[in-house]
Amino acid sequence: MLPLSLLTAAQNKPMLVELKNGETLNGLLINCDNFMNITLREVYQTNPDGDRFWKLKECYIRGSTIKYLRVPDNLLDAVKDEQNRTRDANRSSRGGHTGPGRGAPRGGNFLHTI
Amino acid sequence: MDSLIPFTTSGALVDCVDRKMLVILRDGRKLHGVLRSYDQFANLVLEDTYERIYHNEHFAEEPIGVFVVRGENVVLLGEIDLDQEDELSLSQVDFKALQDIHKHDTASKKIHEEAKSQILYEQKGFCKEGGEGDGY
Repeated sequence: MLPLSLLTAAQNKPMLVELKNGETLNGLLINCDNFMNITLREVYQTNPDGDRFWKLKECYIRGSTIKYLRVPDNLLDAVKDEQNRTRDANRSSRGGHTGPGRGAPRGGNFLHTI
Repeated sequence: MDSLIPFTTSGALVDCVDRKMLVILRDGRKLHGVLRSYDQFANLVLEDTYERIYHNEHFAEEPIGVFVVRGENVVLLGEIDLDQEDELSLSQVDFKALQDIHKHDTASKKIHEEAKSQILYEQKGFCKEGGEGDGY
């Protein structure tokens, strides 16, 4: 799970974004792209000293200004579960053919989980 | 395999995955956490992260959970020797107690550095530090 894939999978999750200048933005992730540009909704912004606050309905952050993102503790597990569910759904929609196909290595199911 | 990956790029991090790592950021923060993932920019995913601050013989920790660090802010990444970590001669104190002292330390260090670079510039013929003023 690459850092940016994790971020893409974290849509609608709350997160804290700290910018390089020390400002922080707390909000729900709406979208992000491969440059790490992100949009947040319901944002609380604080200045670098942490003594002034602003409330923003929505904001766009250029990826290059980001220092780090703090995401929910359970995100890694949640994203893994979500991936498993999607995979299982895809598998059953193809007609419930679950065994390894012809020419597939034994233990093919295991390969899917990597 | 070793010969195939140029081991000065982020490919060198492959051995560090799922290890407890120390990450130092450009702003001086020291993060300890388990490296779960990285990419070609050295963007990092750290789990069970905590920030550590130091003052003389004391240190304090604050848990900060899962962290996605943008690679360009990383100064240093090092594996923590779990055996040696237990033999630390520093004593742990409450984070809140140390936080203000640490903030004060950082502020006075910054003033000191600014004064130093001003003298170097005015009297010793050094050039001004460009960029963002954090020495990197």
